[in-house]
Amino acid sequence: MTVAWRALLAALFLVCFIGAPAQAQEKTGNKPGFTLVPGTARIVLMRPSIRAGAQSTGGMFEPNADWTQQARENIAQALTRVQSRLGNVVTDYVEPVGLDPAQLAEYQELFSTVAGSVIEYQFFKGNRLPTKKRKGQFEWSLGPNVGKLPGLENADYALFITTEDHFGSTGRKILQIFAAIARVSVKSGEHKGYAGLVDLKTGELVWLNADLQMGGDVRDADGAEKRVSQLLEGFPGRPAAPTTTASR
Amino acid sequence: MNLRKIAIAAIATSLVLGSPAVAGNKLIASGQRVKVAKSTMTVQPNVEWNKMGARPGRNSETWTLDGDGLNDLTFYGGIESGRPLFREVDKKNTPLPKVSSTMLLTDIPALLENSYRVALQTSAVQIDAVQPVQFAGTNGVRFTYSFSHQNETLRRRGEARAAMIGGKLYMVTYEAPALYYYDRSYEAFRAAAESVKL
Amino acid sequence: MASGKLAPFALTLSAVLATAPAAAQKAPPLPTYTPAYSPTGVDERGLWMESDEAERRLRDSRSVIKDPALTGFVRDVLCRTVGQDRCASVRIYVQRIPAFNATMYPNGAMTVWSGLLLRVRSEAELGAVLGHEFGHFELRHGVKGFKNARTGTDIMAWAGILAPYSPSYQFGAIGQIFAFNRAQEREADLQGLRYLGASDYPSAEAATVWTRLMAEADASALGRKRKASHNYAAGFFASHPTEIARAAYLRKAAQEIGDVEPYPNDRYRQALANWLPEFLSDQIKLNDFGGSEYLLNELAVDGWTTPLLFARGELYRERGHPRDLVSAAQFYQQAIDQGGAAPEAWRGLGLALLRSQQPAPGRAALREYLRNRPEAPDAAILSTLIAE
Repeated sequence: MTVAWRALLAALFLVCFIGAPAQAQEKTGNKPGFTLVPGTARIVLMRPSIRAGAQSTGGMFEPNADWTQQARENIAQALTRVQSRLGNVVTDYVEPVGLDPAQLAEYQELFSTVAGSVIEYQFFKGNRLPTKKRKGQFEWSLGPNVGKLPGLENADYALFITTEDHFGSTGRKILQIFAAIARVSVKSGEHKGYAGLVDLKTGELVWLNADLQMGGDVRDADGAEKRVSQLLEGFPGRPAAPTTTASR
Repeated sequence: MNLRKIAIAAIATSLVLGSPAVAGNKLIASGQRVKVAKSTMTVQPNVEWNKMGARPGRNSETWTLDGDGLNDLTFYGGIESGRPLFREVDKKNTPLPKVSSTMLLTDIPALLENSYRVALQTSAVQIDAVQPVQFAGTNGVRFTYSFSHQNETLRRRGEARAAMIGGKLYMVTYEAPALYYYDRSYEAFRAAAESVKL
Repeated sequence: MASGKLAPFALTLSAVLATAPAAAQKAPPLPTYTPAYSPTGVDERGLWMESDEAERRLRDSRSVIKDPALTGFVRDVLCRTVGQDRCASVRIYVQRIPAFNATMYPNGAMTVWSGLLLRVRSEAELGAVLGHEFGHFELRHGVKGFKNARTGTDIMAWAGILAPYSPSYQFGAIGQIFAFNRAQEREADLQGLRYLGASDYPSAEAATVWTRLMAEADASALGRKRKASHNYAAGFFASHPTEIARAAYLRKAAQEIGDVEPYPNDRYRQALANWLPEFLSDQIKLNDFGGSEYLLNELAVDGWTTPLLFARGELYRERGHPRDLVSAAQFYQQAIDQGGAAPEAWRGLGLALLRSQQPAPGRAALREYLRNRPEAPDAAILSTLIAE
């Protein structure tokens, strides 16, 4: 059989392991007309959702406590540096005594659901909603009561961050080489993330940035800085970076 | 030979990328009467909605404003006796309860509750108030409910309006997270539900 | 990694008693247990971290039953089974999920589902099941299973590239993953039995829940007009040994230990009394007539109490065939006559009669319900049914 036929059949076998590659990979949405003057805002960072681990040869996620801990620390430090360059102060959210943990968890889940909706139904091709495809439109909210969550009294904005890193293991990389010889595409490593900013007065999502192929190795300080810069792409008030609205 | 290689590559690519198995999402314009759920049921919404390409079952369809995790308006157009509300995932081991042509109006909330309990694999489904209402021009039932998905803390609320007509079940359900989203689009649901005609 | 579907135990004490010696010979004592175990190695620490996150979510979950009396009782049974040293490292979460299961996370968090509590009959049976789960934890199955699954999927990925026309490599690798899980489940079963042997509970009761689970599965299948089938050998994709196999090897191992005296002062019924109507209601709403009827009959072995009669009425009314509705009305009436029935029995009676073409007595029953429960959430719709 020709190499081409073997490639086709190998692709069939591997479809279940690889999945379909993403067609677009990063996108930013901004509430039209919204700007943030640097140094004027008190921003609270909600507890980031950070997962870092390895991707086994077979594509399984191998959680790694050390990497996740390093990522958490590095991202926290990188955030303070990046934000301070903009003149904004970012403080960590502190759960007040007596806070109902279910209430906080509910709002974090609501944010994830809204972000997921933005990513699935507005940002990337495949399943977009007609009312969300229009030029210059970005209308998403967590509702006006989010600012009433205990612990947010002295804040103007809440910043949510999620990153997930599956670092391709050596075995995975070797597989990738052999797969290329068989003309089959195997992705090594998966680095996804999104970040959003919520106006605590109105509950509106004023900015969301999603990237399905992030750069920067979060296990070291420089990589985390690169990652945070990418996560904060299009952040309102950021000078010079071109903001892409939801018009594509 | 080159053409053959190109053709093979094209087939391989399309197999890996996949082609959508469902139709895309469509726009529902405001103020126009449309047929829904592959039935004689018609609705005239007072705002624009998105009709989702994926259907819960054969005689049903779902509309949304911001995505079905945030607001979900589903129409059931004449579910017959012996059929479940929506597609069964595992008919053998977890069959869904079925519509019965002799159902009382009070049996409709129980049908929804039990269907959700089985399909979502959770006990966290609760029917709240159950009242009579005029629906699709006949005596129907209106009920509110709340539920959560299995590993979620996000509470969801719902309201349904339904009637048995000609031995078949016609129903409209509206579901959204209790935090903000349920109240936000409730009026749009009410207008749509009150406009339902057969 | 969560693990462990547990099958119910059925009571087959009589078979064991016939061969057991007069004096109980207990199993040798368990090795010393060192608490405050810290995870070692990259994989184990990773899994503990994930489990810690999962436990955080569990703690905030709405499915967890926050009743200190119930949770305390379950913890008590665990401690009596595995000993105080071991049970100190476990956090228990009772979840309101109407299926037979308990899970153990690699970091010592244990969940017990309400469907399990509905199906065990005694403290000893519950102890056997909890001991099985603790066995997974003590034998560190989570991380071993994870490593094994990783190797298996690695093999599959390579086979896909190097030998795309030889599905046997991939098949073999998949099979090996499941066979490893089955071996782990068997190991945990026998470990649980070892705990029981060293405890005050009779180890004979380790096998009984499985036999009852099989009977329930049979009843469920028959109720759905399907064939009941039980195999000794597990299927290719089975994650656990079959119930027959488990009952058999557990019975054999218990015979070797030889303790059959039931545990005195068994507090199981009292501990569950408040929650029984709730768990029964969850079970009935699962649309499994055969299985639910079997469970109700098992629970009624010592007599049909009022809550059981009410539950049976609900079950028959839910299936709703014409003859079922007549039976349901009878069960509700029996519950009412017996005394102590909740007003909902009148509601069920009324609705069953209305659907059985007996409108007048049906409306009378509904009126009685609303008299006793004027704030009923469905009062408005019931009033229209009464008025027609």
